[in-house]
Amino acid sequence: MTAPVARIVTTRMQSAPEPIRLFYINNVFRYSQSYLKREREFCQAGVELVGCNTSEADGEILALLTSSLKQVGLNDVRIDLGHASLLKDLLNAAGLDEQQKVAIQGLLACRDAVGLKKFMEQNSFPSNLRDAFLELSGCRRLNEVSSVSLGGSKYDEVNKQLESLNELQETLKAYKVDDLVFFDFSLTKKIEYYTGIVFEASVPNLGLPIGSGGRYDSFIEKFGKLRLPATGFALEIGKLLQALTAQGFEIPSNTETRVIVSSKFRSVAVEAVKTLREAGVIASLEITRRSLEKTVDYGKITEADYVVSVDSSLKSPVTVYDIKSASSQKVTFKTFLSDIGGQP
Amino acid sequence: MKKIRIAIPNKGRIKQPTIDALAGAGITILEEERNYVSKTSDPRFEAIFARANDIPVYVHYGAVDLGITGHDLILEREADVLELLDLEYGKATLVVAVPEKSPINAVNDVPALTRVATEFPNITRKYFEKQGKQVEVLEVSGTAELAPKLGLSQIIVDITSSGETLRKNRLRVIGTILDSTCRLACNKIAYRTFEKEISELQSKLQGGA
Repeated sequence: MTAPVARIVTTRMQSAPEPIRLFYINNVFRYSQSYLKREREFCQAGVELVGCNTSEADGEILALLTSSLKQVGLNDVRIDLGHASLLKDLLNAAGLDEQQKVAIQGLLACRDAVGLKKFMEQNSFPSNLRDAFLELSGCRRLNEVSSVSLGGSKYDEVNKQLESLNELQETLKAYKVDDLVFFDFSLTKKIEYYTGIVFEASVPNLGLPIGSGGRYDSFIEKFGKLRLPATGFALEIGKLLQALTAQGFEIPSNTETRVIVSSKFRSVAVEAVKTLREAGVIASLEITRRSLEKTVDYGKITEADYVVSVDSSLKSPVTVYDIKSASSQKVTFKTFLSDIGGQP
Repeated sequence: MKKIRIAIPNKGRIKQPTIDALAGAGITILEEERNYVSKTSDPRFEAIFARANDIPVYVHYGAVDLGITGHDLILEREADVLELLDLEYGKATLVVAVPEKSPINAVNDVPALTRVATEFPNITRKYFEKQGKQVEVLEVSGTAELAPKLGLSQIIVDITSSGETLRKNRLRVIGTILDSTCRLACNKIAYRTFEKEISELQSKLQGGA
């Protein structure tokens, strides 16, 4: 949904004060030729923070991501985070051509350490760059990244990115979510699009990420003149449900009482339904003129709790058929209402 | 603790080398494979026997944490998995072949709407698209070499290791699509959960390879 949001920001919110904080919950449509990832319509819930490129902005987004997932009820949430510009700058500094870049990104994305070493040997990487790649592949925490440093002005940009990760770690500490965020140098997907951090959220019980996001500082300008930095994430609702199910979460069963009112006396029946509804009970009127027996059968299938048969007046006792216990009794309408906890 | 599941091919030429490689890395299969799920000598791992071409999908969705299968099959199933290690056995080449007497001598000569029989429809489709060739891809689930004989297709795309089957069926190679070997594939989330155990296995397998 980032593209539509970028369009709206550019065309409709030009005078909005920055930073702009936006959220959406929407169905997303994707064209995919792959037959494995077949979903072409799915529901996403996401946020975008537009107009700010500080580590505070990234920190806020990551903190919001973790708290959203906890709020949903997931346990053992973790976020793995890479850095698109860091990788791009390293690849440029290595002086690789496009084909070599694709090859090394593939090896990194596969976490094929042996293949990576071989590749770097074959392409005679300078030793400091070689060590940086291997060290970064082994880093799991954001603060470990700062131990990697490359001398020389050629690596100014790289060092700047490394420093920004360290700063981000400090921001995450303030939110007390630094223990949930890991560094992952192998996240190299969509680095043409992202310009800063790029991340995925996951839980151990599900084999696919449940959400992802990152910083995209040069995307919004594609929609107009505005050059606005931005960061955000999106959660896949379907995956969240799968993850919750995998963690043994049960959807709470319906606790509301459901009553079907049956009567030969139309106006009394209508009045009974109205009274029940006003008392906060889910009530429906038997409108097919079928027998009480058939109404009870219908009630069983539709998971109603009671079928109530009312006489010519609500003052007369009513017959209450309790579907769960398959028993019936004659009580006053008032007693029935208070028995099922209706608010008078 | 939850066991780490590793899928291994239940038959075919990569089955035994896989069992041997794992044994060399300290994971010996302890039960008959007809159980589908087998205990191993390492209590942290359990082995799942599955069809080699299904293993990429199992790993992609995290139904198993690890799997050993061909690089060609991972590409064909378009599985988004980590390929942690090239195990270097199970060498094979995916080739484009025509009957010996065919007038087609190169992929470039393939006329439009030629029928191609293959067990690898995805790779085949992508390959010919890239060559700018419009072909009709017929998916068969085995013995693609039979298709030209019966007039089902003029071309096949098939995997070959020694070239023996192609020769026997009087087929001639006109193009190579990719070289493949067996890989240690890993689910991306599982790698995060079991990094210590998995990288230990990775280095042991590498030592044996």
